[in-house]
Amino acid sequence: VYPESFAAGSGFARPCQLRLGRQDIRAESSCERSERISRGRFPRQELESCLGVRDLCAAAVDAATGAGAEYADARVVLKRSQLVATKNGRVERMTDAESEGIGVRVLVGGAWGFAADRRLSAGGARDAALRACTFARAAAGRHSRALAPIEPRVATHRSSFERNPFDIPLADKFDLCLRADEALQAPDVIVRHAMVRAQREHKLLLSSEGTDVEQVLVECGAGIDCAASRDGIFQMRSYPTLEGGSSSQAGWEHVEALGIVGEAPRVVDEATALVRADVCPSTVTTIVLDADQMASQVHESVGHPTELDRVYGTEASYAGTSFLEPDDLGSLRYGSELMNITSDPTTPGGLGSLAFDDEGVAAERTPIVERGVLTGFLSSRETAAQIGSGNGGSMRADGWDRMPLVRMTNLHLEPGEGTLDDLVADVDEGVYMETNRSWSIDDKRLNFQFGTQLAREIKNGKLGRMLRDATYTGITPIFWASLDAVAGREAWCLFGWTNCGKGQPGQSAHVSHGAAPARFRNVQVGVKA
Amino acid sequence: VNALDLAHAALEVAGSEADAVVQVERSGLARFARSEVHQPTLIENVVLTLRVVHDERFGAATTNKVDEAGRAELARRARAAAESAPPDEMFPGLAPPAEVPDVEGYDEETAQLSPDDQARLAAAAIDAAADVSAYGLFTSAVTELAVASTTGVSASQRMTDATVLVVAADEERSGYAERTSWRASDLHPAAVAEAAVETAKRTAATTEIEPGEYAAVLEPYAFGELLGSFAHDSFGALGLLEERSYLTGRLGEQIFDERISIADDSLDRRGLPKAFDFEGTPKQRVQLVEEGVARGVVWDRETAVRAGNGARSTGHSPPFDAFTSDPVPYALSVAPGDAGSVAELADLVGDGIYITRLHYLGVVHPREGVITGMTRDGTFRIRGGKIAEPLVNLRFTVSVPQLLRRLYGLTQDVELVSSQEFYGARYPKGVLCPALACGQFTITGLGSRPGI
Repeated sequence: VYPESFAAGSGFARPCQLRLGRQDIRAESSCERSERISRGRFPRQELESCLGVRDLCAAAVDAATGAGAEYADARVVLKRSQLVATKNGRVERMTDAESEGIGVRVLVGGAWGFAADRRLSAGGARDAALRACTFARAAAGRHSRALAPIEPRVATHRSSFERNPFDIPLADKFDLCLRADEALQAPDVIVRHAMVRAQREHKLLLSSEGTDVEQVLVECGAGIDCAASRDGIFQMRSYPTLEGGSSSQAGWEHVEALGIVGEAPRVVDEATALVRADVCPSTVTTIVLDADQMASQVHESVGHPTELDRVYGTEASYAGTSFLEPDDLGSLRYGSELMNITSDPTTPGGLGSLAFDDEGVAAERTPIVERGVLTGFLSSRETAAQIGSGNGGSMRADGWDRMPLVRMTNLHLEPGEGTLDDLVADVDEGVYMETNRSWSIDDKRLNFQFGTQLAREIKNGKLGRMLRDATYTGITPIFWASLDAVAGREAWCLFGWTNCGKGQPGQSAHVSHGAAPARFRNVQVGVKA
Repeated sequence: VNALDLAHAALEVAGSEADAVVQVERSGLARFARSEVHQPTLIENVVLTLRVVHDERFGAATTNKVDEAGRAELARRARAAAESAPPDEMFPGLAPPAEVPDVEGYDEETAQLSPDDQARLAAAAIDAAADVSAYGLFTSAVTELAVASTTGVSASQRMTDATVLVVAADEERSGYAERTSWRASDLHPAAVAEAAVETAKRTAATTEIEPGEYAAVLEPYAFGELLGSFAHDSFGALGLLEERSYLTGRLGEQIFDERISIADDSLDRRGLPKAFDFEGTPKQRVQLVEEGVARGVVWDRETAVRAGNGARSTGHSPPFDAFTSDPVPYALSVAPGDAGSVAELADLVGDGIYITRLHYLGVVHPREGVITGMTRDGTFRIRGGKIAEPLVNLRFTVSVPQLLRRLYGLTQDVELVSSQEFYGARYPKGVLCPALACGQFTITGLGSRPGI
């Protein structure tokens, strides 16, 4: 589920396959793994606006335990996010937002409470702690909630980057967008759009168990898209992914590597060709999906259903549940032998990369599907205790004023062998689809329907004429069972999205997916209204 | 914090022409699953956005550090942004001062609800669901929006909103109901839970149907969500200017059945009333479709200038933290019909399907108004004009304009369906609409059974 405005929006999307940009994106995913955890403290000037922030967290935890909480954690988050976007040669949006506050989560008599206050003061911390305890008492349930045990860690972590994106002058960001905008000009193009974004999140988590974890995560990204219109036909094309661009936990070097200006002519050519292309026919056939669409497929039909809170039903009132049961762990056949899915919060450049999650659980690479069999869930300390396996590690909150939820971090389709050409060569008749445009999946994550920006006919092992308005639909385990090829590591790309929605109140998570092109047999394409 | 005072205080340090927007939130949300609260969230926040303008350049910055030092830093960042931005000859400038309408939408009793009250009202829903597990939430909030500018805008509005939402479900069954109002006393959590349970109890032992075209009844929850999704591209000025709106080239034409009239009406006390937009421009009631004829879209000052055809802002400038810069309708209102009940609508359908609510819509073709999604928490067959056996969840792919052309009827009663998902800063919004019966609702696949 995405926030409503995305789901209802015009659904721009993302390529990388077969293009110049592919190598650039690969460059980020193959960069050397940074030193993730260091024991030293940050210099105090890191916390420039609130020198006593650790003391505030400690005071909040003490206030909560003093008020009867058997467990408490306090999380201070200082976030700065910046967006520059241009449209048709003008500034479309310009935001530069700072947000700070404290969120206190408590267990009182086995019931959760959470309260968040923007004030980083003794009063704000104490009020949040006491209000969380009050709410927990008022809303107590019948069952006592337990947490899987962890060894409390005292650590700091800073994500790596070469050039701090906030050191790049805003004027350079406007200039980059306007150069891309200019390169998107063409007769049929009616909307030209370019954006760059950056975020710095500095957070500190203290718990009543002794967790004391401080992290600074810096990310940035960029993207372009255009819309062409001709004879009443409207088509969109974007790079390197959806309208929101593709981001990486990296510095400005990531934006430079994306090369949005250089990609613009190709994006325009394809948009211009799309408004002249034939509609994708309605048939059951073989499909080959590019890495971008595979990333969407993994996100919706593997990522969300393997979130253990959904399996236990606690997301039922909004994003939905899962077709998976706790007992399916280790036995359920999710797809063919070629299907290998890994959750990896340590992926360099991954938007979901972290050293510790928002419960203080250390990051760990975890297989989710191995050779087609379900072998892992994404979990929290609470759901890990329920299922009796692991200790969580996927709890993430959207800022200081939301409770952590079970979220994807970086979830990858592991590469297979060969190239996209090799995948296509084995197809007599079929459709190749590139870059997600629309998405929808049911509340148990079984029945999905995707649309892509661009498609090509496959005939006798070769890519042929361009097709527009391509869609395909299927049922998750049946579809994954029909997977008969995944391209190799050379074709594997990493994407970073900022719009994964879940929870009430709503939370938007930043996640990455790495994927390679893949082939599926006997798929319904061309869904007609 | 006094929101309007804070907005004016920000202007004082802006150092040039500027406008300031303040959003204050004090909210509580008791989310429950399996009949127990599991995610109770209390939020206190104040968000201040300052936009400065100089030499046809504008820059904006946002903060929730609103003390004197925070405001000074905010102004510094906003000025730096304006100095870095390219000049924009088409920037419409800051809004002029204007008289804003008097609207309702604030209820002291709702504003005073404490965490204990919020938990108690959640518990009322949980308890009423009795032997069926309850999943959902009770939430209430008091929010305030203030806008001030160096051009003389000075407007503020306090609002309350409350929602109770229940999915009543067990292994094989699920039902849904929801109520939203700016007066919590309108909600009756127990009645909402009972309605969800009543639907759930009819969903056991589902059957499947063949994909294809069916006549259908859509409850307001389903119709409201579908219309909201369609509206995003089609009823906003930017969608029109960028040619992704279904109304592109069709203004003045008959696009829907003549019984369909749709407005955006933030002034309606049955909705979640708003007096002005995020630039302080007064809200207007905008007729979007009148007796089936496309009449217009909603505008902000930016799109009005760009259109250059005499268009004026209708008071639909979006919030800064929105995922979109489109002026979009946040207060859709569909005129009622004459059916006395959904049972009457089922009778009009004769043979078809009955849909309680939808899930996860995706826009397949914005220009054609083609939307896909799933049904959820109460899908039934209609046979002989009566609601009959339960169905599995269905995938649909429909053209909204076609659906609204083949209209069978609408109920006399309209309901406020919340379209707030509580992302970012709280800003209550919803769709006022009746239930609908139509002749064409295309089913393109089958999904899972109802239930958890």
